[in-house]
Amino acid sequence: MVILGSGPIVIGQACEFDYSGTQACKALMKEGLDVILINSNPATIMTDAEIATRVYIEPLKLAYVEKILRQERPDAVIPTLGGQTALNLALELDKAGILKELNIQLLGATPDVIRAAEDREKFRTILDQVGAKYPASHMVRTFEHGMQVASELGFPLILRPNYTLGGAGGGIAFSLEEYQTMIAAGLHASPTSEVLVEASILGWQEFELEVMRDKAGTFVVICSIENFDPCGVHTGDSITVAPQQTLSDVAYQEMRDEARKIIEAVGVQTGGANIQFAVHPDTGERVVIEMNPRVSRSSALASKATGFPIAKIAALLAVGYKLEELRNDITGTTPCCYEPALDYVVTKIPRFAFEKFQGTKDSLTTQMRSVGEVMGIGRTFKESFQKALVSLEESELGPYPVTLDEALLSYPNSKRIYQIFQAFRDGRSVDDVHAQTQVHPWFLEHVEELALFEKEIAKSDLNADFLRQAKRRGFADASIARLTGKTADEVRDLRWKNKIVPAYLQVDTCAGEFKSETPYYYSTYHSESHAVKFPPAMVALLGSGPNRIGQGVEFDYSCVRSVRQFQRSGHKVAMINSNPETVSTDYDTSDALFFEPLTFESVLEILRLIEPVGFVGQLGGQTPINLAHRLVKAGQKLLGTTLESIDLAEDRGLFTKICQELNFRIPLSGMATDLKAAQDIAARIGFPIICRPSYVIGGRRMELVENGEELATYFTRHGAFIRPDAPCMMDQFLDRALEVDVDLVRGPDWTIIGGVIEHIEAAGVHSGDSMGVVPPQRLKDETCAMIEDLSRRLADRLNVRGFLNLQLAVKDDQVFMLEANPRSSRSVPFIAKATGIPLVDLGVRGILGDKAADVQPQKYDWHKIKGVAVKGVVFPFKKFPDADSILGPEMKSTGETMGRGPDYPEALLKAIVSSDLQLPASGEVFLSLREKDKEELFDVVKDLDQLGFQLSGTAGTAAYLESKGLECLTVKKVHEGRPHCVDRIRSGDIAFVINTTSGRTSIEASFGIRRSCVDYSIPCITESDAARAFVIALKKRKQGDFTVNPL
Amino acid sequence: MNRTKGFLVLESGETFSGLWQQGGREQSGTGQSDGLAWDRAGEVVFNTSHSGYEEMATDPSYLNQIIVLTAPQQGNYGENDEFWESERIWIDGFVCVEMQNSWRDQRWLEKLGRHKVPVLTEVDTRKLVFRLRDQGTPWGALVRAETAEEALAKSKDLIAAKKKLDKDWVHFASVKEERTLKGDNPRGPKIAVLDFGCKMNSLRELKSRCSEIRVFPSRTDAKKIRAYNPDGILLTNGPGDPGDVQVAPETLKDLIGWKFIFGICMGHQVLGRALGGETYKLKFGHRGSNHPIKDSLLNKIYMSSQNHGYAVKLDTLPKTVQVTHVNLNDNTVAGIYDPGRKAMSVQFHPESHPGPHEAAELFDFFIRQTQ
Repeated sequence: MVILGSGPIVIGQACEFDYSGTQACKALMKEGLDVILINSNPATIMTDAEIATRVYIEPLKLAYVEKILRQERPDAVIPTLGGQTALNLALELDKAGILKELNIQLLGATPDVIRAAEDREKFRTILDQVGAKYPASHMVRTFEHGMQVASELGFPLILRPNYTLGGAGGGIAFSLEEYQTMIAAGLHASPTSEVLVEASILGWQEFELEVMRDKAGTFVVICSIENFDPCGVHTGDSITVAPQQTLSDVAYQEMRDEARKIIEAVGVQTGGANIQFAVHPDTGERVVIEMNPRVSRSSALASKATGFPIAKIAALLAVGYKLEELRNDITGTTPCCYEPALDYVVTKIPRFAFEKFQGTKDSLTTQMRSVGEVMGIGRTFKESFQKALVSLEESELGPYPVTLDEALLSYPNSKRIYQIFQAFRDGRSVDDVHAQTQVHPWFLEHVEELALFEKEIAKSDLNADFLRQAKRRGFADASIARLTGKTADEVRDLRWKNKIVPAYLQVDTCAGEFKSETPYYYSTYHSESHAVKFPPAMVALLGSGPNRIGQGVEFDYSCVRSVRQFQRSGHKVAMINSNPETVSTDYDTSDALFFEPLTFESVLEILRLIEPVGFVGQLGGQTPINLAHRLVKAGQKLLGTTLESIDLAEDRGLFTKICQELNFRIPLSGMATDLKAAQDIAARIGFPIICRPSYVIGGRRMELVENGEELATYFTRHGAFIRPDAPCMMDQFLDRALEVDVDLVRGPDWTIIGGVIEHIEAAGVHSGDSMGVVPPQRLKDETCAMIEDLSRRLADRLNVRGFLNLQLAVKDDQVFMLEANPRSSRSVPFIAKATGIPLVDLGVRGILGDKAADVQPQKYDWHKIKGVAVKGVVFPFKKFPDADSILGPEMKSTGETMGRGPDYPEALLKAIVSSDLQLPASGEVFLSLREKDKEELFDVVKDLDQLGFQLSGTAGTAAYLESKGLECLTVKKVHEGRPHCVDRIRSGDIAFVINTTSGRTSIEASFGIRRSCVDYSIPCITESDAARAFVIALKKRKQGDFTVNPL
Repeated sequence: MNRTKGFLVLESGETFSGLWQQGGREQSGTGQSDGLAWDRAGEVVFNTSHSGYEEMATDPSYLNQIIVLTAPQQGNYGENDEFWESERIWIDGFVCVEMQNSWRDQRWLEKLGRHKVPVLTEVDTRKLVFRLRDQGTPWGALVRAETAEEALAKSKDLIAAKKKLDKDWVHFASVKEERTLKGDNPRGPKIAVLDFGCKMNSLRELKSRCSEIRVFPSRTDAKKIRAYNPDGILLTNGPGDPGDVQVAPETLKDLIGWKFIFGICMGHQVLGRALGGETYKLKFGHRGSNHPIKDSLLNKIYMSSQNHGYAVKLDTLPKTVQVTHVNLNDNTVAGIYDPGRKAMSVQFHPESHPGPHEAAELFDFFIRQTQ
């Protein structure tokens, strides 16, 4: 049985498919089947060697998958668990005749079903057959036809390109000008050059049904979901609520009937599907928006919301089971053919990252832009909604106060929910806010009630009864504290004094009707605590919360993988997390699951309830590290590396001292609270300088400053984030240095180096955005040994128990220590899979204090790695129009890929292919190189010439190449008149671009080049070492041969 | 903020506190003093449906029952007379976590108030459901009171009085006089409906398929029905214990084998007894919209709408009776068929309202048997 994964994390296709795939693998393995997993994403649990019989971390591309299929000769492929990527791949395999030739069955969805649901014209024919309505629309295949359609339907219009992920290339056009740009981009984005242009249903209510069907035709609705945001916002970007709240039973049952008819007519034999509907708020008229014949982001949410494991059941149905034959895991007694009954409300809120993509307007449309999500469970909408808001980890207050801005209230954007709150605080009426937002009044009334209740809190003496009312409405201690002028700790003490603590209720799929044993909990103040007994000596594991750029699925990997080791060491594990997309929030991952916000308040309540031996903060990224101080202060025990050691690593000043004490080289640095001080520091350490505010995640507002003028503008732009208590950190920039990442684990008397990852890009690109290779290709052996030695010494000095991630730079054979993270890192899963060292397991043994005699560290030597592994990265620039794709110290990538091969070129090629960069075989390469790169990249350019590429370049670059005897076409820069280089790129004449540049002015001047490449999916390399690597991959591809091997 | 206290008191003396909701915003704060008069007693049952509060409250099967809704937010979509399943509200109380009560929409709360149905919110329904599930359906009362002691004292008499009511609840819920409805299908059969407390939608389902329907009171004798000479007979749903139903058992014994009979819920239980089986009280009944039924008559499995506290005992049924429907949650009898005696019945609600529609095909099956 082959399961296709979904590849790297991108917007619209994230770790929910890791959850689905992992669940399916586990279920099928338990059935005794051989499961072959193919996925290019090393950060996932599903690509852990233990999840499937054999795991292939290889590109999800036709040629590679074909080779694997020929090698493995499976009976069947399940394409419904890996998102759109897997479905599209299945169609390709079918079209190429490979499935037929190898006699491989497609399970879950046949090519006909995939086409019926995905091809919008076919789908509409089916809707006609079953009598379902849909918005008036036309399939547009040419620009001219698009213009005709627009005049027929009128504005606004919704554009939906065919066969794209997360609605890529789609959107809402309000005017002809907008429409013209969008239709062109949409036709380009669709692999079939088709865009559905639809009459607008803006402002209608949006609903989703998650349904399942087995081969006998039994049909169940697992979950109904209602969107807070009306139609017009992609459902992935909407706040959503389950179960649906505002439909009468009559209306709901009609929708249910229609869903059943559609899934039958589309021909879904077995498995899960999701169907989206829009309902007119006044007339109740209902139209179908779309259907997905596979598990999806919503089905992951529905699984977590209801306790019904959709992906697992889908996999079992695919191999021939019927719903009546499967048991409901949660109750253990009832069958799986039932519809979950909820006695609580679930709210999902997406998390966005617009601030990282300057230039893009923060506005939500039919194209998905969120990078993660949280889910809050509560007994009422108010409670669940406020829990979800604090889970976002944006503010402990949840709905923090803002200044009301009419403009921000009037169109959907990532911060609108705060504006809606503020509007009610400022006394606006539900009618008024409804007129501006079209959000259903039922939701608005609840928000209004919360906003008005804040005023009651402010007036209150916080007697026990009132305090309980506030907690039942989901107000965080911090929020009550703000309103009453107390501290959050005071409010909490008051609560405890009055015995107001949350009860932990089970998510049991049946509203309490049947006894349930599954330890999946949420907290509420709407119930009295039940005497739930927890096993002694539990370990509490803090997860990583919502996915965001810089903290994603990699940390979920560490959390999940660690559970088994804790269990082997005799502990039961309680998992705490708020992210519904993850494997960690699967009810059978840990011994007890708390679906709760990762805030100090909520974590402390759980720790007091279960009385663990301690909590683990090293595995969930920065989120738990940030909570550790307060939890320890509140009397909880932190397992592994102590707080003091964490501070030594995290505090810049202390860390510098340690490095000096150990005689490590570190970049010169200083801290400035104003421009004057900064200029003094600059004079001391010299340009270029890396500047950043004190508290950052993923390199936010971190910039490379090249001269005094840029330093001044840095302070102008980011001054608001620089305060006396949070000075600007300034570090000497090691120009052209080679950067490395080291991940190690340490116990009381042992250290194991997991590996040294050499970055492909030179220093200056955030480690999360740079490609990397293991083992290092350019580092001298003695330098590598020195790096390992320094790493061990630092780990000893910090007295690490568990994980340590280090970033170092090498310049002129000198090693500089840049940064230490006293926790599991983004690169841990990559290293573990590249080297085969069970790094997470070993880290857990370090945390638990196992001795060298037991651990036998000498068994683990990363130098014995077979072959080469390259980490590739994927970026979301396409989803953020007008954002610059140049790489720098601020992290912008959403996901990573892994290329494995016997040698560097093959591994590199696979990593690049998996990252969805198109490797051109021929055509024109446009070069725009900064002065210092011209000479350095000359041999690379020469290789391109020999590979048969036509060279073109800006005047300076072209002149240089001509002078060196290479033929090169001169193309105008943008300001030199037309046709210029961007025109050339946009007209499709250019196969790929190498554009290296530095300094704010030249970066701004060359923006158009990079942006047009993003818009037209043309590779654009912005760093010289990356260009070198890209050409190595091009050469390798020309050779044509490659291998595929399981882990 | 309305902070009037109220309690649900169980016969055992256990109390569940909550907020006493009195008829919506317009009525609250007007100093209305007859609130106490709304204290009411009934059997305490829970329903796990997400939607359909109006259909449930107007379903005569809920006579003498206080209904606990496990879905926490109620009244969300207001009120619509078209959703009513009879001409009145039958329940003796409405318990949930939160009730829609805004200036824009408080219609459902108001409606319950106008019918003097007590509403208690902010109740720990989870704990309550565990109690009902583990110890069975108790009697109880909803009372307005400041303290649990006060509530206990008030509820004793209420519960005692309610328990003294005549046990033939079906008779109470049934029509008192015959009435005839014209059907929409002139070529369809003529059906006699023996009304045990019928939901409107059963009649609607019949109406669309029949030429004429005549609804008879539950205590009608066989002679009258024979005189009408229908093509088939429907036994409807209704409240209470099937063992307490008067007259209908004799009527049925006479009619069985004469014309095709289709029983729903109470109709199923009464038919089961008439065919020779026994009924028993389930610990806490089946009430919800998500009960899986294995239907060997239609040869499929589907979700059904359920609302019953009693069931037909499997091993007491004579050999001629086939068990055609099984509730997959607990394998109880959910439907029977005796082809020789031309009778079939189901324990659940093919007329839905609330709940899924898949079982409506059973009406087609019934109509086919009458032709």
